[in-house]
Amino acid sequence: MAEVTRKRDKPLQVNPVKLSQPMGATLAFSGVDRCMPLMHGAQGCTSFTKVFFTRHFCEPIAIQTTAVTDALAVLDGGGYSIVESVKNICKKTSPSLIGLHTTGLPETRGDDLRGVASKADFPLVYVNTPDYEGGFESGWALTCKALIEQLVAPAATVNDNKLVLLPHVSLTPIEVERIKELIESFGFNVLALPDLSTSLDGHLGEKQTALSSGGISVEEIKALGNAGLVISVGESMRESAKVLLQKNAGMRHHHFSHLQGLEASDSLVELLLAETGFNGVTPKVERWRQRLQDAMLDSHFSLGQTRILVVGEPDQLAGTCRILHDAGGRVTLAVSSVDSPQLEKIWAKRVLVGDLEDAEAAADEYDLIVGNCHCKALAHRLRKGLVLRGFPNWEEVGNPLKNDLLYEGGAYFLYETANVAEEMRGKTV
Amino acid sequence: MSSKPKIKDLLDESACEYNKTKKQACNAPRPGATTGGCAFEGAQISLFPYADAAHLVHGPITCLGSSWETRATKTTWPGRDLTRMGFTTDVSLNDVIFSGEEKLVKAIDYIMAHYAPTAVFVYSTCVTAMIGDDIDFICRQGAEKHGIPMVPVHAPGFVGSKNLGSRLGGEAALQHLVGTLEPETTTPFDINLIGEYNVTGDMWQYRHLLDKLGIRVLATLSGDGRIKDIRCAHRAKLNVIVCAKSLVSLTRKMHEQYGIPSISLSFYGKRDTSKGLLAIARALGDPGLVARTKKLVAYEEARLEERLKPYRDVFADKKAVLNTGGNKTWSIAAALQDLGLEVVATAVKKATGDDRARAREYLGEKGVLMMNPGVEQARLIDEKGAHLLLAGGRSLYTAIKKGIAFADVNQEKKKSYGGYDGLLNLAEDLKNALENPVFKLVARRAPWQK
Repeated sequence: MAEVTRKRDKPLQVNPVKLSQPMGATLAFSGVDRCMPLMHGAQGCTSFTKVFFTRHFCEPIAIQTTAVTDALAVLDGGGYSIVESVKNICKKTSPSLIGLHTTGLPETRGDDLRGVASKADFPLVYVNTPDYEGGFESGWALTCKALIEQLVAPAATVNDNKLVLLPHVSLTPIEVERIKELIESFGFNVLALPDLSTSLDGHLGEKQTALSSGGISVEEIKALGNAGLVISVGESMRESAKVLLQKNAGMRHHHFSHLQGLEASDSLVELLLAETGFNGVTPKVERWRQRLQDAMLDSHFSLGQTRILVVGEPDQLAGTCRILHDAGGRVTLAVSSVDSPQLEKIWAKRVLVGDLEDAEAAADEYDLIVGNCHCKALAHRLRKGLVLRGFPNWEEVGNPLKNDLLYEGGAYFLYETANVAEEMRGKTV
Repeated sequence: MSSKPKIKDLLDESACEYNKTKKQACNAPRPGATTGGCAFEGAQISLFPYADAAHLVHGPITCLGSSWETRATKTTWPGRDLTRMGFTTDVSLNDVIFSGEEKLVKAIDYIMAHYAPTAVFVYSTCVTAMIGDDIDFICRQGAEKHGIPMVPVHAPGFVGSKNLGSRLGGEAALQHLVGTLEPETTTPFDINLIGEYNVTGDMWQYRHLLDKLGIRVLATLSGDGRIKDIRCAHRAKLNVIVCAKSLVSLTRKMHEQYGIPSISLSFYGKRDTSKGLLAIARALGDPGLVARTKKLVAYEEARLEERLKPYRDVFADKKAVLNTGGNKTWSIAAALQDLGLEVVATAVKKATGDDRARAREYLGEKGVLMMNPGVEQARLIDEKGAHLLLAGGRSLYTAIKKGIAFADVNQEKKKSYGGYDGLLNLAEDLKNALENPVFKLVARRAPWQK
């Protein structure tokens, strides 16, 4: 499929696309109701992360730091700062869960997270997420896995009606909601883990709280073990699914690389039809499928003459490149933040684990960019079209409600991209 | 010898008012009850605005990946603006085990080959400080090899708060840049602007006035700054600290080493801008300059008053509650008063003793200094009948609940509010907030909830 370049010959990142594991962990914990993500490290990692998500989602972000300082950095071993943090957090709020995740500092020192966590007399899930390994996507996935491992109770019976959805990090709140809705239209009770669709979806709450509001509840996570079906979306979520399956031998699992474009959407519907024995979908779903096909036709002329650069997390690239490809768009280059088995399956001419400097060096290969707001300077400098997608996007409001998935989101995405391509051509001709 | 500054010395700052009453460091972080940035962020803030220098962060991806392109520190540097770029060694597990020094050397070579900066700042971070990478040696070697200054910045996050990090950034500039070059010419009116980072172009709101008066900005640390200039900063006649507490150590040391006196002032609001310009003129000790400044100030104030006229009616009888931190507790309050708003309360929880005294001075005896703004502000809005809340984003809900206008003065500032012209920007933003129907509408109950 694509020519994949994994090995970097550069000693540094210039204009990085990559984000860190602890940040992915924070976001995953934000999809649990009344959770306080607690980042173990110096206070800056937490501060950067908080500001980052606050600006991206335009929402208050709950998070705390263990605020490791120099004396503690050498002497402590994590025990004091974590225990003290839990105490201080509980003085002000009453979370249902504390989501303890590490940064590079305590990992370099070798803190015994499991040991400290086992002594905490508070509901706590811990996960090792050093920022010198992996990235945003793996931080989210590791956290999801830890939530399952440490909270879900093993079960022997299954409820065929109950379905667990495991979405990858790049799915927006509204996208998770749309997947849930489609599955629910087949009569399932769907629980997403984590669930940003009810926490960071941009709803105006009754009052400001210091904790996450919305998301899957701790009780619901504990009881996931009796679900009949598990659906994972994105290569990064395979491990989580595997761990969940170990909780109950009766569970069945289906995996999707992504849910963008006609074929992927069709295959989800096909699966749900087979699982339920239904012989059709709702008129609304049918109507949106026709609209997506029409959108592919309407946009194919523009996209067919457009060369595209897509920048983002591996699982995000898989879906975005595929839907563009299916409407004729020529994805000449996909720049991935990190390595992943997913890269082999990306519908692009060339896939590169790299940064925006690499993208700039390949400027002759594309006319339009799909990527985060750091791409704005690039697009401006190189006079390329730009469709803003992925983290961070500080340039636009409404990020939680951007939907590129399934039939409906696919139609909107293709129209938007084709329109940007046309506008760009109008300027440069 | 290591260029690592002694943290203890920096925390014990004799020129800092706050230090005399409190033994502990400013904003000592508490686990589980701390917000705000770390020392690395502080160092980054104080040095990043040098757009002609490369800023190489030696650490894992968190430090830079989530922070590049976050601050709109504008520059007139005609070359590629390197503050809009992110450089990081992005250390991996392999580097943590076997040291990241080789990678760092190669990264510096790479930057020199591709971007030809006038200097390179190398920032240590928690992980690379812990594994003991010798950035002093590598910088020294790099400077010799490439013939430009390379500055090691020892501000890993775990040493403390953002404020301390800014001091460490200043310390690095003092040790490795200041005094390493002689200016082509000097004038009797050469000043350095210290602690002005030109965020949203604040500095440009008053710099032209200094030019008009014949006051030359020899160097800045670091808004719209140049490396060449900061290297000559030791020849200035005066250091002007703009709205910042964090760099008093630097100016004290410049006084000790080079005999440069310093003054501290703010360029927010009409009165403070005027006072600031006059203070600079007086400190430079030239009667002619003082007379010229008085004339300019009178002219600028009159011009501003004229342009503020349309806003006067909007702000007459309007009361504001201000919830922010540091010098903004009084500098923004003063600006609001200049616009004709009554400031009924300001938060002083995150302010130094000095800032509190100034807040009292501006607000008078009737004004409330809030020590616990989270709780107090809602009550005070009712009691005082306030029309406007200026605060960070988290307080938005208080405003909505009370159905009054809200302006964010912390996170999302996109326009400059500095100097005389900046006050007009503030006036326009506040007018728009007060007239915006959204605050009433989002508080509206749904038809099915009535």
